[in-house]
Amino acid sequence: MSASAVPQDPVTVAGTEAPLLVVDHLSKEFGAVKALQDVSFSVNAGEVVGLVGDNGAGKSTLVTIVAGVQHPTSGHVFLDGKPLDVATPAEARDAGIETVYQELALIEMFDMATNFFLGREILQKGIRQRLGVLNRRDMRRRAREKVSEIPAKFPNFDAAVETMSGGQRQIVALAKAAFWGGRLLLLDEPTAALGVQESAGVLDMINELAGEDRAMIVIAHNLQHVWSVCTRILVLRRGYLVADLDKAETTAEEVVAYITGAR
Amino acid sequence: MGIDRGGETGSDRLAASPEAESSGAAALGMSAGTALPMRPLRWLFRPDNARLLVLIALGVIFTFASPFFLTTNNLINVLMNAAVVGIVAAPATLLLVARQVDISIGSAVGFAATTLTVVAESRFGLGVAVLAAIGAAMGIAAINAVAITKLRVNSLIATLGTLAAFRGAAKLIGDGRSIRLDGFGFLGRSRFAIPGTDVRLPVAVLILLAVALLFSLLMRYTRYGLHMYAMGANPKAARLAGVSLERNVVIAFMLSGLSVALGSFILVSSIGATAPTTGMGLELLAITGVILGGASLSGGRGTIGGTLVAILILAVLDNGLTLMRVTSFWQEVVRGGLLVTAVAFDQLRLRRGKPEVRFEL
Repeated sequence: MSASAVPQDPVTVAGTEAPLLVVDHLSKEFGAVKALQDVSFSVNAGEVVGLVGDNGAGKSTLVTIVAGVQHPTSGHVFLDGKPLDVATPAEARDAGIETVYQELALIEMFDMATNFFLGREILQKGIRQRLGVLNRRDMRRRAREKVSEIPAKFPNFDAAVETMSGGQRQIVALAKAAFWGGRLLLLDEPTAALGVQESAGVLDMINELAGEDRAMIVIAHNLQHVWSVCTRILVLRRGYLVADLDKAETTAEEVVAYITGAR
Repeated sequence: MGIDRGGETGSDRLAASPEAESSGAAALGMSAGTALPMRPLRWLFRPDNARLLVLIALGVIFTFASPFFLTTNNLINVLMNAAVVGIVAAPATLLLVARQVDISIGSAVGFAATTLTVVAESRFGLGVAVLAAIGAAMGIAAINAVAITKLRVNSLIATLGTLAAFRGAAKLIGDGRSIRLDGFGFLGRSRFAIPGTDVRLPVAVLILLAVALLFSLLMRYTRYGLHMYAMGANPKAARLAGVSLERNVVIAFMLSGLSVALGSFILVSSIGATAPTTGMGLELLAITGVILGGASLSGGRGTIGGTLVAILILAVLDNGLTLMRVTSFWQEVVRGGLLVTAVAFDQLRLRRGKPEVRFEL
């Protein structure tokens, strides 16, 4: 399917290039509950989009559909003009969508390197590959290289993730997403339950990851955090996309008004 | 990775003895960590070392308590008694690591063993009987696997059902009789002379060691093993990382079925007959061993080495107490007390925030 065949909603398309992600008339129902209703928008490469809304507004539902974990009741998701409709988490990941789930991103008992490669392990060569024998040395080396690139410091590379602070865990999860070179990063509440200083570290990391060819969608409750990393803000309310705002042209008051339904 | 499945945490690494560190590192083909002076007390209380210590202590106590304990024949007896339990406890460890449990193994062994003797005494003969018994064990495993992965029945419930059903089925096909089987002594009664010594190890013990080695390699070095630990430690995160929980659980139950078949052959071979009670209680012995060996019902923890040492502890305990003429009633009490004490000790350590060692052999 070519990009021109994608029906595009008037509220979207900020730039002139073909958008990286197109969400097209997406709806999701859970029985009688309408979690998402006819949501359409697009995201260009290089954008960091904040997704805000009250509890139950449909933010997580939207993210899990784009990540291939859930399937929409109707509507479509396109990445680079290609439909992601039948995607599983693995397919979405192979297509370049990396997701950092709130508190679910990592296996606490495992160390960083094992977490980086879980589900995408490097195996030994030859017959041992067919037996599924892990190549720990390579996985360890590559994870160590990646971790040395990020500014945050870790006291012990080999420590189990459960010995780390919440902020360190989020940074590890972000580093993992970046490690796999995701073109679209979905971050579900990256600063939830973090202290001020830890949030700052995570937000720095997000700014660092924002790049020309990478787009990000960040779910956050804290508007201040959204403001410090995003260029655009989408507001969901009761399953509807009620606003698509350029950060430069809006105010926190306006966003809050959309969230609460005052506008 | 230094830590396998999150095995040693950072401070454990510091507490680890240099020997343990270097051997582990060499085995995993990675650079050795910083070797810091070991702290003897902490080293002793690392669970795997504590278990070995208990085993050695029991050995010493029984050596003094009975002149018959420390003899080649008696020790071989102990190993022989541990063989069948150990063989079925290996997949039980693998399953519990992934938060699954198979308590049908006692009845599965009984049903497979009875299938073997019933078919063998019919006109089909021993060859067909062996195949039928393997089929029976795998069939039970398949029922468990389907109930758990397709029908979403909790593994404890599903295998509780097959535990009851196949005990009954074993009595049905055997008419509740004891059935003799001659000419099937190789697995259970033959011995293998270790070259250069006059020790003759039972073939069953060699099979136990081979099974333990295979499962240990599977759990330590392969992607499958890693995924099983991940599923137990955090099933949601594992699924989101692309781990196929259903497929892995099915494979584990199939391995359990194979071990059940092997265990039932050794049991029938060494006894020379089946009874309606064959294999009864085996599941409890095996799971006691797995838990005593360091696995947790909440998953993510446990090793074959730990299970093996724990099963040896149980076997030595039974043997030693018997030699001391303690009745089997007391043996059961001691076994149960040991299990609860060991787990309580583990919990105490965890609550005091001591980092966990989950991975050793």
